[in-house]
Parts: sequence; structure tokens; C-alpha cells
Amino acid sequence: MRECIFIKVLMPKLIIDKREVDAPEGVSVLEAAQSVGIVIPHFCWHPALGKAGACRVCAVKMLDGPVKGIQMSCMLPVQEGMVVSTTDPDAVAMRRQVIEWLMINHPHDCPVCDEGGECQLQDFTIAGGHGIRRFDGPKRTHVNQYLGPNIEHEMNRCIQCYRCVRFYQEHAGGSDFGVMGSAGRVYFGRFEHGPLESPFSGNLVDICPTGVFTDRTARFRARYWDYDMAPSVCPGCSVGCNITPVARYRELLKIVARRNDRVNGWFICDRGRFAPKEANDPLRPRTPLVDGREASWEEAEDALLRRLNEIVELYGEGSVLVVGSSRLPFEGASLLPLLSGVLSSGAPGWFATRRETRAAHAAVSLMTRENGASMADVMNAGCIAIYESDLREEGPMLLLAVRQAWRRGAPVLLVGEHSPLEQTRAVGIEAVQLHYMEEAPLAIFDRPVVIAGTKHGDPEVMAMLDRTGARIAALFPGPNGFGAALLSAEQGGGPVGAALASGRVKGLVAVEADIPAELLEGIPVVAALDWRATSAVQAAAIVLPTTAPVESDGTYVNFEGRAQKFCRVIRPGLPVKGLDPAGHPPRVHEAAPPGGDLRPAWRVISDLVRLAGGTPPEEPLSGRWARLAGLDPEGEGMVLGGRVLPNDA
Amino acid sequence: MRVVDDITAILTGLWTTLKHILRRPVTVQYPEEKRTPSPRYRARIILTRDPDGGERCVACYLCSAACPVDCISMQAEEVEGGRRRAAWFRINFSRCIFCGLCAEACPTTAIQMTPDYEICKRDVMDLVFEKEDLLVAHGGKDARYNFYRHAGIGVTQPRGEGAEERPPVDVRGLLP
Amino acid sequence: MMPDPVEIAFVIAKIGMVLFVILTLAAYLVYAERRLLAWIQDRKGPNRVGPQGLLQPLADLVKLLTKEDVCPPAGDRWLFFLAPAMAAIPAIMTFAIVPFGAPLRLAGRDLPLQVADLNVGLLLFMALSSIAVYGVALGGWASNSKYALLGSLRGLAQLISYELSMGLSLVPAVMLARSFRLSDIVAAQAGCWFILYQPLAFVVFLVSILAECKRIPFDLPEAEGELVAGFHTEYSGMRFGLFFVGEYINIIVLGGLAATFFLGGWHGPVLPGILWFWGKALAFAFLFIWIRGTLPRLRYDQLMHFGWKVLTPLALVNILATAWWLFLTGGA
Repeated sequence: MRECIFIKVLMPKLIIDKREVDAPEGVSVLEAAQSVGIVIPHFCWHPALGKAGACRVCAVKMLDGPVKGIQMSCMLPVQEGMVVSTTDPDAVAMRRQVIEWLMINHPHDCPVCDEGGECQLQDFTIAGGHGIRRFDGPKRTHVNQYLGPNIEHEMNRCIQCYRCVRFYQEHAGGSDFGVMGSAGRVYFGRFEHGPLESPFSGNLVDICPTGVFTDRTARFRARYWDYDMAPSVCPGCSVGCNITPVARYRELLKIVARRNDRVNGWFICDRGRFAPKEANDPLRPRTPLVDGREASWEEAEDALLRRLNEIVELYGEGSVLVVGSSRLPFEGASLLPLLSGVLSSGAPGWFATRRETRAAHAAVSLMTRENGASMADVMNAGCIAIYESDLREEGPMLLLAVRQAWRRGAPVLLVGEHSPLEQTRAVGIEAVQLHYMEEAPLAIFDRPVVIAGTKHGDPEVMAMLDRTGARIAALFPGPNGFGAALLSAEQGGGPVGAALASGRVKGLVAVEADIPAELLEGIPVVAALDWRATSAVQAAAIVLPTTAPVESDGTYVNFEGRAQKFCRVIRPGLPVKGLDPAGHPPRVHEAAPPGGDLRPAWRVISDLVRLAGGTPPEEPLSGRWARLAGLDPEGEGMVLGGRVLPNDA
Repeated sequence: MRVVDDITAILTGLWTTLKHILRRPVTVQYPEEKRTPSPRYRARIILTRDPDGGERCVACYLCSAACPVDCISMQAEEVEGGRRRAAWFRINFSRCIFCGLCAEACPTTAIQMTPDYEICKRDVMDLVFEKEDLLVAHGGKDARYNFYRHAGIGVTQPRGEGAEERPPVDVRGLLP
Repeated sequence: MMPDPVEIAFVIAKIGMVLFVILTLAAYLVYAERRLLAWIQDRKGPNRVGPQGLLQPLADLVKLLTKEDVCPPAGDRWLFFLAPAMAAIPAIMTFAIVPFGAPLRLAGRDLPLQVADLNVGLLLFMALSSIAVYGVALGGWASNSKYALLGSLRGLAQLISYELSMGLSLVPAVMLARSFRLSDIVAAQAGCWFILYQPLAFVVFLVSILAECKRIPFDLPEAEGELVAGFHTEYSGMRFGLFFVGEYINIIVLGGLAATFFLGGWHGPVLPGILWFWGKALAFAFLFIWIRGTLPRLRYDQLMHFGWKVLTPLALVNILATAWWLFLTGGA
């Protein structure tokens, strides 16, 4: 609060294009202009990276005030009394000439460039009015490098804005990529061919204003204007980074980062971006199966209920287990207890081991709206302890946030044997290794944050983390881990592994759950609701195919308890690619795409409950979850506190 | 006098039409007589080849974006050597309005209009032309142009050896 | 009085012949109109069916007969079916009174080439042309469609207006011939055609019959540009055909009447009378087509203005002038 007042006192007033603008001290003229919706072309300036003054394209004319004449708006901090014109003929001419200089060496290969259509250089070239190349001298060329299977390098297109190297070295702490050469020979690359080592290298694709770095996994596949896109949430881990999946012809092509300053900022990790596109898998279950035979939905649902009811009659209550998972969207997860109710089984199982279950319960119950640490909190932390977690696995984007905190001077403590030093090395930061949480001197720092992994964390220690006075970020095994832990803790869900191993479970309903094949042996009736070809699907007598996250709307609750909505990108169905052996798409069109008879898990669960005589809610998120139903997929999401929510909402 | 003027006008009109009765009709009796359209006539669309015989079309999607009736669809793919081309390319001539915007948008002069205006089929599905139906063995109107020679990247020639290009920079050189 | 059987046979033969000729001519008039309009517009016109397209009328007939006969569901079914007949039959019946050739002497009898030589022939013509109005009115009303109704309203007003000037323009001819009998009117022109005495009456009559036929420039009841097809918008198949063929029969009949009243009927030098009559009648048909290819359609207010403020007064003045002239020359 004190900070806010402090900033208000120092709010220089300036005039941009005849509009009065109040801007906080320290921001550039470019940002001040953006804050009132005036767009100044820029290449090197990036909100997450700041300024470099390398591209010279953000020229404006200062008409009056402390500075006069043509200035680079990104380099110039606002001052009282500035009068700025972005439309002055001098400024316009300057920008046009800069674009023309940049285009002198830029190849004319837009038709074969994947950036074409989503290229900042293209946009500003056209906007600046440079349509015909006047310089007819030869262009400088470069030799490209192999940068791994994910990123394509085309140095001829480079306009030397330095964004890539600033991101890679300063923001992400990578050391194997840099800038070489001088003058007109400046080269951005590695010393030698080889995959980029940073776990955030994919952001070069997003951040490059032109086509030097393009996504190789979607090379030559589609154009921006043809993309099927929708706001979505990364299903890769419990961080819940905001993404935009890109699809075309019912095929998921690539993942692009989507800005959410509360969660991932501008970037996402390579693990989420270049994850295998499982939604395209031709082996995915696409029709309901009963004993390996294709069946209608009604048949399969009837068979499931009939057989499980037989098991209940034969072995008594509790012989059927319903298993959810951390990747089941919250819509389905919140209905799962109803399904176990109609099947006379106990609380659904969510987590594999007893330790993980207890750690998750402990984590979710000690986190409130106040003490949960968001990514922004991690970035601004004064000290960070990473407790029993390898963030490269459990939440890579937190590692990037940790680096930003470290850059501002926060020490980083790695606690426990499962917090390897390699993870901090991957982002170029130094860390101190400790054995026990008690050793971490969190109290002596301002704004301490503890990042704890439920995978290896000790439940006893987890339960006491709030006593450190630090904000807590607990990492769960899947994108909806917090939601699963919330429901599990409420109903006392037990560990799945132990239940299956005990032999008491005779019937199993696996709802988007990954259960090792050996645990499924000897269970008489296995039913699986899933969109992946998991071991449960392979072992199951009854398979009900569900939609992948990109094929339906849904909600994930991320590690800090933030519920975020994701939207449907693709209409369910087999990708057009591969439908016809001759390579053409089908010539005759049907009303429904082949393999498109998939249903969201919540709907299948709801149907099963209704068929079994229960009364499922009309809408998946209703009752106490109704507040989640109206979430804006492009908003910041809504934080649910683990401890307070059940009574509160 | 107005009445006289009006009657004169009517009689002039009658005389004009009477003269036209004796004039030679301009009608072309189509199936028997055929006109030769100009080479720039906009009818059946083809995909041409570059002087080296390679497919000119790089499947950049500009024609399908320009098409006002959405009759062009395609899928781009990469072939050996980094060349980009259409895995499949389809023009639905039953929807095409022959406006020529696709040919205008084409950056590689691959898609061109021809004067062959006789595109009639008994089955409407026969009007859906695939890439094999569209691809011809010649260069069309601009036979000598090869996009990749001017693109500024190395696909058909080693890097730095295309038109208007300098040899690749020696990044490790220390000279200014 | 027992009618003479030979007389009856002759009358029946004449009726048959007249029907055949009129219907065939009407069909070929359609063809002729299409060819002529095409030539006027530098086109070729129908030339595919038969040599020079001469079988086109037959093809049209087959097409019209095989088309579906549609009655609008909201229409008045019986009136809808009645209207086309009301349009076509009076047109054919009018021809009964037209003398289309010099009387023949056959088997010792005098055989007038005229189906019925009524002493009130001209009045019958006026009566029948009034009945033809019903075809337009009923067709538009029974269709229960806005275009058809608008067309028939226009048609009613137009036909009634121009019937007046048409009737008035014929009065001088009657005054000159001193008879309503058409054979008398023709006989009165043996020396000099009435067109020479009555050029004004002829012009008024000509314009009036153009309007009576609903031909361009007076085709407001049909007016494709604004009313789709006017009063027969909802008609299809042969019912439309009846409207259509009625219009062309009307052209021939009115052309024949114009020839009878003003161009001396079948009178003419050298050639036989029957050829003179048909030549004159078809010349009028050509004129109608030619005018159609030349003039644009009038506006509705222009049409009314022209009928009531120009043609009717002109015809009245002409009657007075004729009377005055007859009085002076002592003709009366």
C-alpha cells in the first residue's frame, strides 16, 4: 500500500499525440504510449525483457520538454512536461527508413517462412509503407545451425534486435547461445551445431519478431489466419501456464505461450511447448468398447453399470474403486464422488502412493488465499527454498520465476535429497543445498517463498510449512492436482496403489487415471474413461473414450489453487491427415467427423450417475462450484484457498 | 412543337430498330463456333512448374487466403532439401468464380489462369480438382522465373549463391 | 324456319378454318416476335428447333402442356382456373364478326367469308372486349398474390380507360358507313379507305388497341421489371399458355379489325381479297412487334393522362368534326 502512494507522488505528466498521459516514474515513453493505446512500432523492446535500443524503429519526435528532436521512445524514460508526437513527419520518415534498412538484408522468402502471417516485421513493414525494395545490391547471408529437433534456425532473416540473446542469457540463464561477430556480420547462435540446452529455448520462437527461430515441430503446416486457436491451459504440470494450442484440419500442430501475468507471464517451458501431441495419436480410444468390441455409448454404459453392480452384489460394498487423477479436469473431478456413491464404493482414489496422498492433503489444507505463492510472488521473493523437488520435472516455469528472483538478489536454497543442483544450473543460478527444512533461514528475509513438491516431500514437513512464515507453492503431479487434492482431502481419499495391491478391489473405474499395468492384473472388471491409450484402457473390458483437453472446455486448478478455464480448440475427430491413403482429404463430407463421437469425462460420469439412478447436476460446475462456471478463459483465473473454500463458496 | 418533337422521336426510334433488323447478328453459335479468348482470359486454373521442372507452388496459403469463395484448400509439407510444397492441393471449380485473385496473390507465379473456359462435368464431384489434375508440365506465362533463386535462402542452390546474394558471412572473422 | 343444312355445314367449316388459322397464326406470331425482337437486338433468336427454328412453337406447346399446373394454395381455385379462359375465349370469339375476304360464289350460293355477319357486329366487338377485362381481373384476384393483384388492378383501369377512346374512335367509321355491320363498313370502303377520311380516328384506334392488347408501351399489367409478370405471375403450364396465346390472338384480331375499320378490309387491287385482308392484319402484327422492340414502357400516370386527357378528347373532337363535315356535305 505504501508503495502505491509513493508511485502516485511521482507520476510525471506528459503529452503524447495531444493526449495527456500520467505515467509512473521510470517507464519509457513507449510504454506510456502503449498504456493509452498508442502503438509505436518496436522490435527490440519487449515487455518482459525491457529495452535494448538496437532496432531504432520506435522513433518519435519530442516537440517540447526536457528532450528535443527524434528520440528512441523505448530508451527514453518519461519526464514531466514532455510533448511527444508519434505521427510527426520526421518520426514517420525515420521509422520508414529504419524499416527499409532492416529489409535490405531480409530475404524475400515469406511464402516459405513459417512466421509469415504472424510476423512483426511483416506487419511493421507494411504499416510503415515500405512496399518496394529500392536498394538492388546483394544481401548478406549466413549459414544456419542445427538447434535441435524443435527449433529451426534461419539467420538470413535476422534483423539484429537482440531479443533472442537477451531472453536466452539474461532471462533464462542459458549459456550455450549467444551473439557473435560484429557490424553487419552479427550472428545469433551457438558455437557449434547442437540442440539448445535451456529448458526454455522454445520461447525464442515466440519472442523473435521475425522468422529466425520457428517451431520445427509444426514446420510448413499452416498459416496464422487458418489456425484453430483458443485460450487454453497447459496440461503438462501443475503450474497451469496459459497457452494457445494451434490446430488445423483437426490436428494439433503446436503450442504457443499466452500471456497471463499472474501465472506464467509471457513464456512457457519447452516441456509444455514441445510435449508430444497426444491428442493426434491414431491409437487413441475413439469408440466405446465392450470386451474389445465396438459398441454404442448406451451399450457400453449399460455394460459398465451392470458388471460393476454384479461385483458389488458378489463382493459387497467397497469392492469397486473409482479412480480419478490430477489430469482430470475439475468438471469431471467434482462429479466423481457422485459416481462412487452410486457404485457403493468409498471415496474415489486420486493419488498413487500413501505418501503422495498425505503430502497432497497436507499441502492443500495448509494453503489459503493469503499464503499461497503465485508465480508473481516467486518472482518477487526475497528468498526461495525449493523443498524436495526437481522443478525441471514438477514445474519448469517456476524455475524461470526463481531465476528472476535470484537476479534481484534472492538467495536460492535447495532442501532435501530430491532437489538436485542441476535444476538451478539449467537456468544459470547459484544455489545452496540444505538437508532439512529447519536449516533454511527463511525468517531473516523479506517475502520468503517455499516451493515444495508433493512427489517426494515428507507429509509431516509439508504440514508444517506454513509455520515458516513463507508463502507456499506446492507442486502436484498434474494440471488439476490442486483440485484433485482438494476433493481427496475433503472425502478422505486413500492411495490407489495400496487399495489395488490389497486385492480387495474387484471392480475398477479409471477416469483419466494412469495406473501401472501390474496393479491391474487380477481385477475382474476394469472400466476406463480416457482419451489416451493408457495401460488401464488396454486392460479394460469397457472403454469409454473421452475428449482430450484441446477438444473440450474445462477447468484446471493449478498449484496455487487458481482455477483457470480452457476452451475447445479442435472438434473431436481423427485428423484429416492420414484419413485417406492417397494423401488427399476425404472428397465426401459427413456431418460428423470420423472418430469424433467422444464425450467430455464429466458428461460420461454424469450419464453413468443418471443411468444408475442418481441425480447428477445439470451443469458440471454447479452448487458450490458454480462460481467457477463463469470464469473468463482469458482472465487471470480465480484462486481457491485450500482451507477456506469448502465453507466459503 | 412538343408533339412534333415527340412523334419525331418515336419515328426515329422505329427507324433505328428497323435498321437493326437488317443488321448481321453478333451471336456466336457456341458449340459449333468457338471464340479464341485472349491469353489473359481468366478460366481454368493451373499449377505451373519452374524452369528446372520443380513444382512452383510452395503451399504458402496465400491463394486460399485471397480466395473470396474459399474454393482453394491445401496442406503444406517439407520435402527433402528443405523445399516446401503442397502435400495436397484442391480447387473446387464448382465454387470458383474465376476472379483471378489467387493468381494475383501467388508470390511464385505457380497458380495461373488459362483461357480454357470449358469446364463442365456431369458430376459436380468431378469439378473438385486435386493437385494432380492442376499440375502442368510447363511454366505458364512467366516461364523463366524460379522463386527459390530469388528467395534469399538456400534451397535450390547453396546458401549465398542465389540471385542478389553475397557469400555467407564468416562469423569468426575479426576484421571490421 | 328450318336452317339450311348446307348453310350449317358451311358455317361449321368456316368456324373450323378460322379457329385453325387463328391458333396457328398466334403460335407462329410468338415465333415471329421472338425472331424479330432478336434481329432488332442484333441476335439470332430461336433457330434450333427445326429448320430456322420453325418448329419452336410446337416445342413451346409441348413444354407448356407438360409443365406442372400450379394453383397457389391461398388462391381461389375456381376463379383461378376460369380466368385464362376468360382471357382467351372472347379474343377468339371476336373474330366471328370479321369479314376476312370477298364473298365467294360457291355452288350457286353467295358465301360471305365471315362467320357471323351481325347487324350489330361492332357492338358485339365492344362487348367482347369488355368481357376480356375479366380475364385480367379474375386472374389477378384469384392468385391471391400482391404482384398479381397489382397487375390486375392496373389492367382493369387501363382496359376500361382505353376501351372508351377505342369505342369513340370507331364512331366516325360507323357514321361514314351508316351501319354497325362490319360487312357494310368494308363495303363502304370499296372506293376509298376510311383512313384517308379519318386519319385521326385511325391513330386513336391504333394506340387504343395497343393498350387493349396490353402491349409495350402499355404493358403495365404485366410489367416484368416491377411486378414479376403482373396478373399472370402465379400461372404455369398451359393456363399461362392460354393467357399468352390469348394475347397473340388479340393482336391478330385487333389487327384484322383495324384493317376492317380503316384500311378497307379485304379490298385491294390485283390480289384476291383474302390475301389483302391477312396481309393488312399481319402488317399490324408486325407493327406491334416493331413497336415493342422500340419503345419503353409508360409510367402509370402517363398512361392514364394519355388515355383520358389526350385520346378521349381527341376522339370526341373527331366525332364532332365528322358530324359537322357530314352535315356540311349533306351526307346525313
